[in-house]
Amino acid sequence: MAPAGPRSGDAIFASAERVNAELFTLTYGAIVRQLLTDLEEVEEVNKQLDQMGYNIGIRLVDEFLAKSNVSRCIDFKETAEVIAKVGFKMFLGVTASVTNWDADGTCCSIVLEDNPLVDFVELPDTCQGLYYCNVLSGVIRGALEMVSMKTEVTWARDMLRGDDAFELQVKLLKQVPEEYPYKDDE
Amino acid sequence: MQFFGGSEISPSPPAPTVSGNNANMMYVFNRNGICLLYREWNRPLRTLNPQQDHKLMFGLLFSLKSLTAKMDPTIAEKGNLGVPQLPGQGCSFHSFHTNTYKLSFMETPSGIKLILVTHPRTGDLRESLKYIYNLYVEYVVKNPLYSPGTPIRSEIFNTSLDQYVRSIA
Amino acid sequence: MGREVSESCVDSLLTELVSTYSTRFYANKPDLAAHSIEAIGYQVGLQLSERYTMDRPRFSDHLEAIKFICKDFWSELFKKQIDNLKTNHRGTFVLQDSRFRWLSRVSIDPSENGDVSEDNPAGVAENKASLVTKMHLNFPCGIIRGALSNLGIPCAVSADISNLPACSFVVRIKV
Repeated sequence: MAPAGPRSGDAIFASAERVNAELFTLTYGAIVRQLLTDLEEVEEVNKQLDQMGYNIGIRLVDEFLAKSNVSRCIDFKETAEVIAKVGFKMFLGVTASVTNWDADGTCCSIVLEDNPLVDFVELPDTCQGLYYCNVLSGVIRGALEMVSMKTEVTWARDMLRGDDAFELQVKLLKQVPEEYPYKDDE
Repeated sequence: MQFFGGSEISPSPPAPTVSGNNANMMYVFNRNGICLLYREWNRPLRTLNPQQDHKLMFGLLFSLKSLTAKMDPTIAEKGNLGVPQLPGQGCSFHSFHTNTYKLSFMETPSGIKLILVTHPRTGDLRESLKYIYNLYVEYVVKNPLYSPGTPIRSEIFNTSLDQYVRSIA
Repeated sequence: MGREVSESCVDSLLTELVSTYSTRFYANKPDLAAHSIEAIGYQVGLQLSERYTMDRPRFSDHLEAIKFICKDFWSELFKKQIDNLKTNHRGTFVLQDSRFRWLSRVSIDPSENGDVSEDNPAGVAENKASLVTKMHLNFPCGIIRGALSNLGIPCAVSADISNLPACSFVVRIKV
């Protein structure tokens, strides 16, 4: 990490403009509901939530980097820690933990016990197969891609499906170095 | 008080080094080499068309980054010259100056490159570039009309940038 | 104080919502996009209004309900009240927020010709910007309609942005 070290998520959250979480939670809920109406297929809703998250992630990454003072993300391990400790805190006001590292350090789990997205949410039986919080997996995938890490993010546990926590498995597929972007035509 | 942006921009702007009208121009590139912003305050001599100019500037930094990392005496493992690097990998240069200008450079892990060209005797602008990155976040990234990766067209951003640059260089 | 999240969470969700509906789902059918975005806002307004009025007596008339939207409801959402309320006393109310938060970062540069976008001249871009801005406003319009509907007041809500970053919401109560 940067010599100065990243700022703590708590400090950033405390100094950020904050809003009523109900507005956020209900807005997200209403979006999921409308997507279910408009798209009908639960699988398609999962896909669109992930895509929306991805697009949000590629925007949020710069705010995250600017405010957290993180100046490099080379090591996947450190990066995952910073996302969990600083990223979740500065945006959602909650802390996540990183566990279940595999032997070669390319796959881990981000575990969230408190998740503002699901306050007041109960899934009806008609929503079998819905990954309600899929926007989160998209955000992580999008943000990591912007710092050169191609990842695959999947749900390992989901409280709305009866598990005891939310657990996202993040697998590093490859790190993409920056190539000279122009063709040698001149 | 901001122009009419939302939140306070943190960190607050670093204290100015020298005041005046010594800034020449600024470029912002993304990781794909797209010039998101070119802003000019004082540039009497221009011989290239804008596209060539941007490409040359991007190429200069790309090569310089690669060269400075290659010549780093402190790090044992390093790739061959020209082998692509991850943003932020290896050492990083932050400025150079000639007898006529100084170029200050910052690159974020997301591959955003900020380049500010000023008078050769301008002080250290690293904190200032960080502040400009914060301006970019507040007024460009958070502008609902902005699509990531496209040239910046924002009056608020341009105004705040002009104002800020005038205060530092 | 209740739970809070960073403002960026809401802002980025709204930006993405509008972009999803107006450029991905219904790129050539702006009316359908507007309808879905408004419906999402309506749902949010309905639920929020339900929560914020749980412990209070029913409103005696339309004006009381509108005042509630301007003061308490708006403060919960934006930490400020509506700045100016006008009515023609025949069921039309104009609620003006002189610095509407969700539009405070909207900006384009009308003077710039854009050196990379020859195929996208300034005029076209500006027009597109105003369309996107209007698309965004379907959400707050839906919120107001939902909130009033929860209070038993059916209405139509539109927005006027001729004076950015001020925004006026026009509420027409159906009789």
